[in-house]
Amino acid sequence: MKKGPAILVLGILASLAAFAAVYYLGTLHCRDMMRGAKPELVWLKHEFKLNDAEFTRITQLHEAYLPRCRERCKHIAEQDEKLQQLLAHSASITPEIQTLLAERAKTRADCEAEMLKHFLEVSRTMPLEQGKRYLAWVQQQSSLHSGGMEQSHGMDDEHHL
Amino acid sequence: MKPNQDPENDAHLRTLLRSWVVDTPLPPGFKDSVWRRIERADLQPESPFWAGLMNLIDVSLPRPKVAFAYLTVLLAVGLTAGAWAAQIKTSHAETSLGLRYVQSLDPYHSAAVHP
Repeated sequence: MKKGPAILVLGILASLAAFAAVYYLGTLHCRDMMRGAKPELVWLKHEFKLNDAEFTRITQLHEAYLPRCRERCKHIAEQDEKLQQLLAHSASITPEIQTLLAERAKTRADCEAEMLKHFLEVSRTMPLEQGKRYLAWVQQQSSLHSGGMEQSHGMDDEHHL
Repeated sequence: MKPNQDPENDAHLRTLLRSWVVDTPLPPGFKDSVWRRIERADLQPESPFWAGLMNLIDVSLPRPKVAFAYLTVLLAVGLTAGAWAAQIKTSHAETSLGLRYVQSLDPYHSAAVHP
């Protein structure tokens, strides 16, 4: 092979090898996180710089919260289904529908209170600054930060800035 | 010193060339092959870009300084692109894990999941 084309090919191969090596090393940590049983908790540990003791405590809180959350989800699904059935057979708001709507609102309020309680408990387990950051982030990401009608009507705080 | 003479006007040279007889036989099919090459060249004229590129690869690239600069640039491009792609991938994965964490705790989050 002539020298010129050989250098050309060598350059391309070197570039590809450099790309692959840096990409592999750069995503190594990410792939390790994904391989775990609870990648979202491993991510939490990494993101909020938790030590092993804090991570263990938060994992315990998380595990304790999930069964209660599952129960509430089931209750919400039942109420939603019941409402759908009532709405399918009625052209106006009956007292039964009104009662169910109030119950659903109560369920949502209870859920949000439980969720907030959990978030506060988790944030207290973290170092002070990280706890504050966690609380601000999780409130922004969860349904506690409303993204409903008030946003579409332009009543969100951001729209007033 | 003998002055340079124009070969067109050199009578002696012209006489000599006229008397020159080539007695070596041409290889078989020589004329056909020459015409075929001319036809091919007429059909596919090489563009100046490709001619320049081929010249660059054959002539300039083997020079040590050019070869070193070329390899350095390509290596730098590979390293930068790899780091950039890894950053995008990591950032995407972290965002998705954060979302997954919230979804596992929030029944009212869109597409709430329970492991």
